[in-house]
Amino acid sequence: MGKLDGKVACITGGTRSIGRAMADAFIAEGGKVVVNGRDEVKGQQCLDEMGAGDNSAFYAGDASKQEAVEGLIDFTIERYGQLDICCLNSGGVQMTAPVAQMTDEEWNLEVDWNLNHVFWGMRRALQHMIPRESGRIIVTSSVEGKLGKPGIPGYAATKHAVNGLVKAAAHEVGTMGITVNAILPGLIETDIVRATGPDSAVAMGMSGYDELIETFSSESAIKRPNKVEEVAAVAVLMASDAAKNMTACMFPVDGGTMPY
Amino acid sequence: MGTLDGRVACITGGTRGIGLGIAKGFLEEGAKVAINGRDRSKAERTLAELGAGDNAFYIAGDVKQRKSCEAIVDTTVDHFGRIDILVANAGGASGHAPIAELTDEAMQDSLVWNFWHTFWTMRRAFHYMIPQESGRVMAVSSLEGKVGKPGISIYVAAKHAINGLVKSASHEVGTLGITVNALCPGAIETDIMMAEGPPAAESMGLDYEGLLDMFSSESAIKKLNEVEDVAAVATLLASDAGAGITGSLISIDGGTAPY
Repeated sequence: MGKLDGKVACITGGTRSIGRAMADAFIAEGGKVVVNGRDEVKGQQCLDEMGAGDNSAFYAGDASKQEAVEGLIDFTIERYGQLDICCLNSGGVQMTAPVAQMTDEEWNLEVDWNLNHVFWGMRRALQHMIPRESGRIIVTSSVEGKLGKPGIPGYAATKHAVNGLVKAAAHEVGTMGITVNAILPGLIETDIVRATGPDSAVAMGMSGYDELIETFSSESAIKRPNKVEEVAAVAVLMASDAAKNMTACMFPVDGGTMPY
Repeated sequence: MGTLDGRVACITGGTRGIGLGIAKGFLEEGAKVAINGRDRSKAERTLAELGAGDNAFYIAGDVKQRKSCEAIVDTTVDHFGRIDILVANAGGASGHAPIAELTDEAMQDSLVWNFWHTFWTMRRAFHYMIPQESGRVMAVSSLEGKVGKPGISIYVAAKHAINGLVKSASHEVGTLGITVNALCPGAIETDIMMAEGPPAAESMGLDYEGLLDMFSSESAIKKLNEVEDVAAVATLLASDAGAGITGSLISIDGGTAPY
Protein backbone atom coordinates (compact mmCIF):
# COMPACT_ATOMS: atom_id res chain seq x y z
CA MET A 1 0.00 0.00 0.00
CA GLY A 2 1.45 3.30 -1.09
CA LYS A 3 0.94 6.77 0.32
CA LEU A 4 -0.47 7.98 -3.00
CA ASP A 5 -2.57 5.01 -4.12
CA GLY A 6 -5.05 6.15 -6.75
CA LYS A 7 -3.79 9.73 -6.78
CA VAL A 8 -3.15 11.45 -10.09
CA ALA A 9 -0.29 13.90 -10.51
CA CYS A 10 1.08 16.07 -13.28
CA ILE A 11 4.58 17.51 -13.26
CA THR A 12 5.92 20.30 -15.46
CA GLY A 13 9.50 19.61 -16.44
CA GLY A 14 8.99 16.03 -15.33
CA THR A 15 11.21 14.06 -17.65
CA ARG A 16 14.52 14.89 -16.00
CA SER A 17 16.20 15.80 -12.73
CA ILE A 18 13.95 17.11 -9.91
CA GLY A 19 10.66 16.57 -11.74
CA ARG A 20 11.68 13.10 -12.80
CA ALA A 21 12.65 12.18 -9.23
CA MET A 22 9.21 13.35 -8.12
CA ALA A 23 7.58 11.24 -10.84
CA ASP A 24 9.55 8.15 -9.83
CA ALA A 25 8.74 8.68 -6.15
CA PHE A 26 5.02 9.25 -6.82
CA ILE A 27 4.80 6.09 -8.89
CA ALA A 28 6.63 4.12 -6.20
CA GLU A 29 3.89 5.26 -3.78
CA GLY A 30 1.07 4.14 -6.05
CA GLY A 31 0.35 7.37 -7.93
CA LYS A 32 -0.35 7.92 -11.61
CA VAL A 33 1.78 10.59 -13.24
CA VAL A 34 1.76 12.72 -16.37
CA VAL A 35 5.21 14.14 -17.00
CA ASN A 36 5.70 17.17 -19.20
CA GLY A 37 8.71 18.24 -21.20
CA ARG A 38 9.53 19.91 -24.49
CA ASP A 39 11.17 16.99 -26.22
CA GLU A 40 9.08 14.04 -27.48
CA VAL A 41 12.13 11.80 -27.69
CA LYS A 42 13.20 12.50 -24.11
CA GLY A 43 9.59 12.08 -23.07
CA GLN A 44 9.36 8.62 -24.56
CA GLN A 45 12.75 7.70 -23.11
CA CYS A 46 11.51 8.87 -19.69
CA LEU A 47 8.40 6.67 -19.93
CA ASP A 48 10.51 3.69 -21.00
CA GLU A 49 12.88 4.18 -18.05
CA MET A 50 10.06 4.61 -15.55
CA GLY A 51 8.45 1.39 -16.71
CA ALA A 52 5.14 2.31 -15.10
CA GLY A 53 2.95 1.24 -18.02
CA ASP A 54 -0.49 2.81 -17.96
CA ASN A 55 0.34 4.63 -14.74
CA SER A 56 2.47 7.15 -16.57
CA ALA A 57 2.03 9.35 -19.61
CA PHE A 58 3.92 12.13 -21.36
CA TYR A 59 2.60 15.49 -22.48
CA ALA A 60 4.81 17.49 -24.81
CA GLY A 61 4.91 21.24 -24.30
CA ASP A 62 7.02 24.24 -23.36
CA ALA A 63 6.26 25.23 -19.75
CA SER A 64 6.94 28.87 -20.55
CA LYS A 65 3.85 28.85 -22.80
CA GLN A 66 0.34 29.23 -21.43
CA GLU A 67 -1.28 26.76 -23.82
CA ALA A 68 1.21 24.06 -22.90
CA VAL A 69 0.76 24.48 -19.15
CA GLU A 70 -3.03 24.55 -19.36
CA GLY A 71 -2.90 21.74 -21.89
CA LEU A 72 -0.98 19.56 -19.44
CA ILE A 73 -3.63 20.05 -16.74
CA ASP A 74 -6.48 19.34 -19.16
CA PHE A 75 -4.71 16.31 -20.66
CA THR A 76 -4.10 14.82 -17.21
CA ILE A 77 -7.75 15.17 -16.21
CA GLU A 78 -8.89 13.74 -19.52
CA ARG A 79 -6.43 10.84 -19.32
CA TYR A 80 -6.96 9.82 -15.70
CA GLY A 81 -10.30 11.42 -14.83
CA GLN A 82 -8.98 13.71 -12.12
CA LEU A 83 -6.02 15.75 -10.90
CA ASP A 84 -4.96 15.42 -7.26
CA ILE A 85 -1.39 16.71 -7.29
CA CYS A 86 -0.14 19.51 -9.51
CA CYS A 87 3.65 19.93 -9.43
CA LEU A 88 4.79 23.14 -11.07
CA ASN A 89 8.42 22.30 -11.26
CA SER A 90 9.84 23.55 -14.54
CA GLY A 91 11.99 26.65 -14.50
CA GLY A 92 15.40 28.17 -14.93
CA VAL A 93 17.31 30.75 -16.90
CA GLN A 94 18.68 30.70 -20.40
CA MET A 95 21.26 33.52 -20.70
CA THR A 96 21.10 35.44 -17.45
CA ALA A 97 22.91 38.74 -16.93
CA PRO A 98 23.27 41.48 -14.31
CA VAL A 99 20.37 43.94 -14.34
CA ALA A 100 22.28 46.57 -16.33
CA GLN A 101 22.91 44.08 -19.13
CA MET A 102 19.66 42.08 -18.91
CA THR A 103 17.77 41.87 -22.19
CA ASP A 104 14.00 42.19 -22.39
CA GLU A 105 13.90 38.81 -24.14
CA GLU A 106 15.67 36.98 -21.31
CA TRP A 107 13.66 38.84 -18.67
CA ASN A 108 10.36 37.95 -20.32
CA LEU A 109 11.40 34.34 -20.77
CA GLU A 110 12.28 34.01 -17.08
CA VAL A 111 9.02 35.67 -16.00
CA ASP A 112 7.00 33.36 -18.26
CA TRP A 113 8.95 30.23 -17.37
CA ASN A 114 9.32 30.68 -13.61
CA LEU A 115 6.35 32.82 -12.58
CA ASN A 116 3.60 32.86 -15.20
CA HIS A 117 3.89 29.12 -15.71
CA VAL A 118 3.17 28.61 -12.01
CA PHE A 119 0.22 31.01 -12.14
CA TRP A 120 -1.25 29.45 -15.29
CA GLY A 121 -0.88 25.93 -13.91
CA MET A 122 -2.16 26.79 -10.46
CA ARG A 123 -5.20 28.65 -11.79
CA ARG A 124 -6.19 25.81 -14.11
CA ALA A 125 -5.58 23.16 -11.45
CA LEU A 126 -7.56 25.06 -8.80
CA GLN A 127 -10.53 25.37 -11.14
CA HIS A 128 -10.63 21.56 -11.08
CA MET A 129 -9.68 21.11 -7.41
CA ILE A 130 -12.00 23.68 -5.80
CA PRO A 131 -15.28 21.91 -6.79
CA ARG A 132 -13.76 18.61 -5.63
CA GLU A 133 -12.58 20.21 -2.36
CA SER A 134 -9.34 18.31 -2.54
CA GLY A 135 -5.92 18.81 -4.03
CA ARG A 136 -2.24 19.54 -3.66
CA ILE A 137 -0.26 22.21 -5.45
CA ILE A 138 3.50 21.82 -5.10
CA VAL A 139 5.75 24.49 -6.55
CA THR A 140 9.49 24.04 -7.01
CA SER A 141 10.88 27.37 -5.88
CA SER A 142 14.50 27.88 -4.82
CA VAL A 143 16.79 29.29 -2.15
CA GLU A 144 16.83 32.26 -4.50
CA GLY A 145 13.17 32.73 -3.56
CA LYS A 146 14.46 34.07 -0.26
CA LEU A 147 17.95 35.26 -1.18
CA GLY A 148 19.30 37.18 -4.15
CA LYS A 149 22.62 36.56 -5.80
CA PRO A 150 24.15 39.02 -8.26
CA GLY A 151 23.86 38.10 -11.92
CA ILE A 152 20.61 36.15 -11.63
CA PRO A 153 18.13 38.98 -10.99
CA GLY A 154 15.32 37.46 -13.02
CA TYR A 155 15.58 34.11 -11.32
CA ALA A 156 15.71 35.65 -7.83
CA ALA A 157 12.81 38.00 -8.60
CA THR A 158 10.55 35.34 -10.12
CA LYS A 159 11.25 32.82 -7.37
CA HIS A 160 10.43 35.47 -4.74
CA ALA A 161 7.23 36.17 -6.65
CA VAL A 162 6.33 32.49 -6.76
CA ASN A 163 6.66 32.28 -2.98
CA GLY A 164 4.24 35.17 -2.59
CA LEU A 165 1.81 33.55 -4.99
CA VAL A 166 1.95 30.29 -3.02
CA LYS A 167 1.20 32.06 0.26
CA ALA A 168 -1.75 34.01 -1.12
CA ALA A 169 -3.21 30.98 -2.88
CA ALA A 170 -2.83 28.82 0.24
CA HIS A 171 -4.99 31.25 2.19
CA GLU A 172 -7.59 31.41 -0.59
CA VAL A 173 -8.20 27.65 -0.59
CA GLY A 174 -7.09 26.72 2.94
CA THR A 175 -10.50 25.54 4.10
CA MET A 176 -11.24 23.55 0.94
CA GLY A 177 -8.99 20.58 1.49
CA ILE A 178 -6.41 22.03 -0.89
CA THR A 179 -2.84 22.78 0.14
CA VAL A 180 -0.41 25.01 -1.72
CA ASN A 181 3.26 24.74 -0.82
CA ALA A 182 6.69 25.60 -2.15
CA ILE A 183 9.86 23.55 -1.92
CA LEU A 184 13.02 25.65 -1.82
CA PRO A 185 15.98 23.56 -2.92
CA GLY A 186 19.56 24.69 -2.76
CA LEU A 187 21.70 24.19 -5.81
CA ILE A 188 21.28 20.78 -7.41
CA GLU A 189 23.33 19.59 -10.35
CA THR A 190 20.36 19.04 -12.64
CA ASP A 191 20.52 18.88 -16.42
CA ILE A 192 19.35 22.51 -16.58
CA VAL A 193 22.09 23.65 -14.20
CA ARG A 194 24.71 21.71 -16.15
CA ALA A 195 23.47 23.25 -19.41
CA THR A 196 23.10 26.87 -18.31
CA GLY A 197 25.39 26.95 -15.25
CA PRO A 198 28.57 27.89 -17.14
CA ASP A 199 26.94 31.00 -18.65
CA SER A 200 25.22 31.85 -15.36
CA ALA A 201 28.55 31.61 -13.53
CA VAL A 202 30.07 34.18 -15.87
CA ALA A 203 27.09 36.51 -15.38
CA MET A 204 27.58 36.12 -11.63
CA GLY A 205 31.20 37.21 -11.92
CA MET A 206 32.67 33.78 -11.34
CA SER A 207 35.42 31.95 -13.17
CA GLY A 208 33.16 29.13 -14.31
CA TYR A 209 30.85 26.27 -13.47
CA ASP A 210 33.07 24.76 -10.75
CA GLU A 211 33.13 28.04 -8.85
CA LEU A 212 29.34 28.22 -9.09
CA ILE A 213 28.99 24.79 -7.48
CA GLU A 214 31.66 25.62 -4.91
CA THR A 215 30.02 28.95 -3.97
CA PHE A 216 26.59 27.44 -3.38
CA SER A 217 28.07 24.47 -1.50
CA SER A 218 30.20 26.66 0.75
CA GLU A 219 27.16 28.66 1.86
CA SER A 220 25.41 25.52 3.09
CA ALA A 221 26.05 23.66 6.31
CA ILE A 222 26.52 20.38 4.47
CA LYS A 223 29.09 21.84 2.02
CA ARG A 224 27.65 19.99 -0.95
CA PRO A 225 24.88 20.50 -3.48
CA ASN A 226 21.51 18.93 -2.70
CA LYS A 227 20.09 15.91 -4.48
CA VAL A 228 16.93 15.42 -6.47
CA GLU A 229 15.82 12.56 -4.22
CA GLU A 230 15.84 14.90 -1.23
CA VAL A 231 13.35 17.16 -2.99
CA ALA A 232 11.23 14.23 -4.16
CA ALA A 233 10.84 12.91 -0.60
CA VAL A 234 9.43 16.26 0.52
CA ALA A 235 7.09 16.32 -2.49
CA VAL A 236 5.76 12.88 -1.54
CA LEU A 237 5.12 14.09 1.99
CA MET A 238 3.31 17.20 0.74
CA ALA A 239 1.24 15.09 -1.67
CA SER A 240 0.20 12.56 0.98
CA ASP A 241 -2.72 12.63 3.39
CA ALA A 242 -0.25 13.11 6.25
CA ALA A 243 0.39 16.69 5.06
CA LYS A 244 -3.26 17.72 4.85
CA ASN A 245 -2.63 20.50 7.38
CA MET A 246 0.63 21.77 5.93
CA THR A 247 0.08 24.70 3.62
CA ALA A 248 1.75 27.97 2.62
CA CYS A 249 4.95 26.31 3.74
CA MET A 250 8.26 27.34 2.22
CA PHE A 251 9.97 24.01 2.80
CA PRO A 252 13.76 24.28 2.62
CA VAL A 253 15.83 21.49 1.07
CA ASP A 254 19.04 23.48 1.05
CA GLY A 255 21.46 21.91 3.50
CA GLY A 256 21.14 24.87 5.83
CA THR A 257 21.77 27.74 3.42
CA MET A 258 18.88 30.13 3.96
CA PRO A 259 18.82 32.31 7.07
CA TYR A 260 15.06 31.90 7.53
CA MET B 1 10.59 -2.32 5.23
CA GLY B 2 10.47 0.98 7.03
CA THR B 3 12.43 4.14 6.37
CA LEU B 4 13.87 3.98 9.92
CA ASP B 5 14.65 0.28 10.23
CA GLY B 6 17.25 -0.29 12.95
CA ARG B 7 17.42 3.39 13.97
CA VAL B 8 17.31 4.35 17.63
CA ALA B 9 15.42 7.46 18.67
CA CYS B 10 15.18 9.32 21.96
CA ILE B 11 12.20 11.61 22.49
CA THR B 12 11.85 13.90 25.48
CA GLY B 13 8.29 14.40 26.63
CA GLY B 14 7.39 11.35 24.60
CA THR B 15 4.54 9.92 26.59
CA ARG B 16 1.86 12.35 25.43
CA GLY B 17 0.93 14.84 22.76
CA ILE B 18 3.37 15.65 19.97
CA GLY B 19 6.15 13.46 21.37
CA LEU B 20 3.87 10.45 21.48
CA GLY B 21 2.72 11.14 17.92
CA ILE B 22 6.34 11.24 16.77
CA ALA B 23 7.09 8.01 18.67
CA LYS B 24 4.24 6.28 16.85
CA GLY B 25 5.47 7.60 13.50
CA PHE B 26 9.00 6.34 14.17
CA LEU B 27 7.85 2.92 15.39
CA GLU B 28 5.72 2.45 12.28
CA GLU B 29 8.85 2.99 10.18
CA GLY B 30 10.85 0.37 12.08
CA ALA B 31 12.74 2.43 14.66
CA LYS B 32 13.37 1.66 18.31
CA VAL B 33 12.19 4.48 20.52
CA ALA B 34 13.06 5.65 24.01
CA ILE B 35 10.38 7.93 25.38
CA ASN B 36 10.87 10.17 28.35
CA GLY B 37 8.39 11.65 30.76
CA ARG B 38 8.06 12.51 34.41
CA ASP B 39 5.16 10.27 35.35
CA ARG B 40 5.73 6.52 35.38
CA SER B 41 2.05 5.58 35.54
CA LYS B 42 1.29 7.69 32.44
CA ALA B 43 4.29 6.14 30.73
CA GLU B 44 3.08 2.64 31.45
CA ARG B 45 -0.28 3.44 29.90
CA THR B 46 1.56 4.89 26.90
CA LEU B 47 3.76 1.82 26.47
CA ALA B 48 0.69 -0.41 26.64
CA GLU B 49 -1.04 1.77 24.03
CA LEU B 50 2.00 1.64 21.74
CA GLY B 51 2.14 -2.15 21.97
CA ALA B 52 5.65 -2.08 20.51
CA GLY B 53 7.20 -4.60 22.91
CA ASP B 54 10.96 -4.31 23.16
CA ASN B 55 11.07 -1.57 20.55
CA ALA B 56 9.75 1.02 22.99
CA PHE B 57 11.38 1.89 26.29
CA TYR B 58 10.54 4.44 28.97
CA ILE B 59 13.09 6.67 30.64
CA ALA B 60 11.89 8.63 33.65
CA GLY B 61 13.30 12.08 34.12
CA ASP B 62 12.52 15.76 34.48
CA VAL B 63 13.95 17.73 31.56
CA LYS B 64 14.30 20.79 33.76
CA GLN B 65 17.38 19.15 35.31
CA ARG B 66 20.64 19.00 33.38
CA LYS B 67 21.56 15.64 34.87
CA SER B 68 18.21 14.17 33.82
CA CYS B 69 18.63 15.45 30.26
CA GLU B 70 22.06 13.89 30.01
CA ALA B 71 20.85 10.68 31.63
CA ILE B 72 17.95 10.42 29.16
CA VAL B 73 20.40 10.43 26.25
CA ASP B 74 22.90 8.14 28.02
CA THR B 75 20.20 5.67 29.02
CA THR B 76 18.96 5.49 25.45
CA VAL B 77 22.46 4.48 24.38
CA ASP B 78 22.86 2.06 27.30
CA HIS B 79 19.56 0.38 26.50
CA PHE B 80 19.52 0.28 22.70
CA GLY B 81 23.28 0.49 22.03
CA ARG B 82 23.27 3.77 20.11
CA ILE B 83 21.38 6.97 19.37
CA ASP B 84 20.54 8.00 15.82
CA ILE B 85 17.73 10.45 16.39
CA LEU B 86 17.16 12.94 19.18
CA VAL B 87 13.84 14.73 19.40
CA ALA B 88 13.99 17.48 22.01
CA ASN B 89 10.26 17.75 22.28
CA ALA B 90 9.36 18.50 25.89
CA GLY B 91 8.38 22.04 26.65
CA GLY B 92 5.76 24.48 27.71
CA ALA B 93 5.49 27.51 29.93
CA SER B 94 3.68 28.56 33.05
CA GLY B 95 3.44 31.84 34.89
CA HIS B 96 2.52 33.84 31.78
CA ALA B 97 2.15 37.58 32.23
CA PRO B 98 2.76 40.74 30.25
CA ILE B 99 6.44 41.70 30.56
CA ALA B 100 5.80 44.56 32.97
CA GLU B 101 4.34 42.06 35.44
CA LEU B 102 6.49 39.05 34.55
CA THR B 103 8.47 37.32 37.29
CA ASP B 104 12.08 36.19 36.98
CA GLU B 105 10.96 32.72 38.00
CA ALA B 106 8.51 32.36 35.12
CA MET B 107 11.10 33.44 32.55
CA GLN B 108 13.74 31.22 34.12
CA ASP B 109 11.44 28.21 34.22
CA SER B 110 10.45 28.57 30.56
CA LEU B 111 14.05 28.96 29.44
CA VAL B 112 15.09 25.87 31.38
CA TRP B 113 12.13 23.80 30.24
CA ASN B 114 12.33 24.70 26.55
CA PHE B 115 15.75 26.09 25.73
CA TRP B 116 18.22 24.65 28.25
CA HIS B 117 16.66 21.20 27.93
CA THR B 118 17.16 21.37 24.16
CA PHE B 119 20.76 22.48 24.61
CA TRP B 120 21.54 19.86 27.27
CA THR B 121 20.12 16.95 25.28
CA MET B 122 21.60 18.17 21.97
CA ARG B 123 25.08 18.56 23.47
CA ARG B 124 24.96 15.09 24.97
CA ALA B 125 23.61 13.53 21.78
CA PHE B 126 26.41 15.19 19.77
CA HIS B 127 28.95 13.39 21.97
CA TYR B 128 27.64 10.16 20.44
CA MET B 129 26.69 11.39 16.97
CA ILE B 130 29.91 13.24 16.10
CA PRO B 131 32.19 10.19 16.49
CA GLN B 132 29.72 7.99 14.58
CA GLU B 133 29.39 10.74 11.92
CA SER B 134 25.67 10.33 11.65
CA GLY B 135 22.61 11.57 13.42
CA ARG B 136 19.41 13.54 13.37
CA VAL B 137 18.53 16.18 15.93
CA MET B 138 15.11 17.76 15.93
CA ALA B 139 13.88 20.40 18.30
CA VAL B 140 10.15 20.83 18.63
CA SER B 141 9.96 24.59 18.47
CA SER B 142 6.77 26.46 17.63
CA LEU B 143 5.11 28.97 15.40
CA GLU B 144 6.00 31.23 18.34
CA GLY B 145 9.66 30.63 17.51
CA LYS B 146 9.07 32.78 14.42
CA VAL B 147 6.45 35.28 15.54
CA GLY B 148 5.61 36.87 18.87
CA LYS B 149 2.26 37.25 20.57
CA PRO B 150 1.71 39.59 23.51
CA GLY B 151 1.46 38.08 26.96
CA ILE B 152 3.44 34.90 26.29
CA SER B 153 6.94 36.34 25.96
CA ILE B 154 8.46 33.61 28.12
CA TYR B 155 7.43 31.02 25.56
CA VAL B 156 8.17 33.16 22.50
CA ALA B 157 11.67 34.06 23.71
CA ALA B 158 12.55 30.46 24.58
CA LYS B 159 11.34 29.12 21.23
CA HIS B 160 13.17 31.84 19.30
CA ALA B 161 16.31 30.90 21.22
CA ILE B 162 15.86 27.27 20.21
CA ASN B 163 15.64 28.28 16.55
CA GLY B 164 18.93 30.19 16.85
CA LEU B 165 20.60 27.25 18.54
CA VAL B 166 19.41 24.94 15.77
CA LYS B 167 20.85 27.18 13.05
CA SER B 168 24.25 27.42 14.72
CA ALA B 169 24.39 23.74 15.53
CA SER B 170 23.48 22.71 11.99
CA HIS B 171 26.49 24.58 10.63
CA GLU B 172 28.80 23.10 13.26
CA VAL B 173 28.00 19.50 12.32
CA GLY B 174 26.84 19.94 8.73
CA THR B 175 29.64 17.94 7.15
CA LEU B 176 29.50 15.15 9.73
CA GLY B 177 26.34 13.46 8.51
CA ILE B 178 24.32 15.08 11.27
CA THR B 179 21.32 17.28 10.58
CA VAL B 180 19.73 19.67 13.07
CA ASN B 181 16.28 21.09 12.42
CA ALA B 182 13.42 22.78 14.22
CA LEU B 183 9.78 21.86 13.78
CA CYS B 184 7.51 24.85 14.19
CA PRO B 185 3.93 23.66 14.75
CA GLY B 186 0.94 25.89 15.08
CA ALA B 187 -1.37 25.46 18.05
CA ILE B 188 -2.31 21.84 18.79
CA GLU B 189 -4.67 20.85 21.56
CA THR B 190 -2.28 18.63 23.47
CA ASP B 191 -2.48 17.91 27.21
CA ILE B 192 0.06 20.68 27.81
CA MET B 193 -2.03 23.11 25.79
CA MET B 194 -5.13 22.20 27.76
CA ALA B 195 -3.24 22.69 31.03
CA GLU B 196 -1.26 25.84 30.16
CA GLY B 197 -3.60 27.36 27.58
CA PRO B 198 -6.13 28.89 29.97
CA PRO B 199 -3.57 30.87 32.01
CA ALA B 200 -1.74 31.85 28.81
CA ALA B 201 -5.05 33.05 27.37
CA GLU B 202 -5.72 35.09 30.48
CA SER B 203 -2.33 36.78 30.16
CA MET B 204 -3.28 37.63 26.57
CA GLY B 205 -6.63 39.08 27.66
CA LEU B 206 -8.61 36.16 26.23
CA ASP B 207 -10.38 33.05 27.43
CA TYR B 208 -9.21 29.58 26.33
CA GLU B 209 -11.75 29.29 23.51
CA GLY B 210 -10.74 32.73 22.32
CA LEU B 211 -7.11 31.65 22.31
CA LEU B 212 -7.84 28.61 20.15
CA ASP B 213 -10.04 30.70 17.84
CA MET B 214 -7.26 33.24 17.44
CA PHE B 215 -4.74 30.60 16.41
CA SER B 216 -7.21 28.98 14.00
CA SER B 217 -8.24 32.26 12.43
CA GLU B 218 -4.64 33.24 11.68
CA SER B 219 -4.08 30.04 9.71
CA ALA B 220 -5.13 29.29 6.15
CA ILE B 221 -6.86 26.08 7.22
CA LYS B 222 -8.90 27.83 9.96
CA LYS B 223 -8.38 25.00 12.40
CA LEU B 224 -5.74 23.78 14.80
CA ASN B 225 -2.99 21.41 13.78
CA GLU B 226 -2.75 17.77 14.86
CA VAL B 227 0.11 15.80 16.35
CA GLU B 228 0.16 13.55 13.27
CA ASP B 229 1.01 16.58 11.10
CA VAL B 230 4.21 17.04 13.07
CA ALA B 231 5.01 13.32 13.20
CA ALA B 232 4.96 13.04 9.40
CA VAL B 233 7.59 15.75 9.00
CA ALA B 234 9.71 14.34 11.84
CA THR B 235 9.69 10.93 10.17
CA LEU B 236 10.87 12.42 6.89
CA LEU B 237 13.68 14.38 8.56
CA ALA B 238 14.79 11.28 10.47
CA SER B 239 15.03 9.17 7.31
CA ASP B 240 17.88 8.96 4.79
CA ALA B 241 15.87 11.24 2.52
CA GLY B 242 16.30 14.01 5.10
CA ALA B 243 20.10 14.06 4.74
CA GLY B 244 20.09 17.31 2.78
CA ILE B 245 17.71 19.21 5.05
CA THR B 246 19.37 20.96 7.95
CA GLY B 247 19.24 24.28 9.77
CA SER B 248 15.60 24.49 8.74
CA LEU B 249 12.75 25.92 10.74
CA ILE B 250 9.90 23.98 9.22
CA SER B 251 6.43 25.44 9.62
CA ILE B 252 3.66 22.95 10.33
CA ASP B 253 1.09 25.55 11.11
CA GLY B 254 -1.61 25.46 8.43
CA GLY B 255 -0.12 28.51 6.77
CA THR B 256 0.24 30.85 9.75
CA ALA B 257 3.88 31.93 9.95
CA PRO B 258 4.80 34.64 7.46
CA TYR B 259 8.11 32.91 6.59
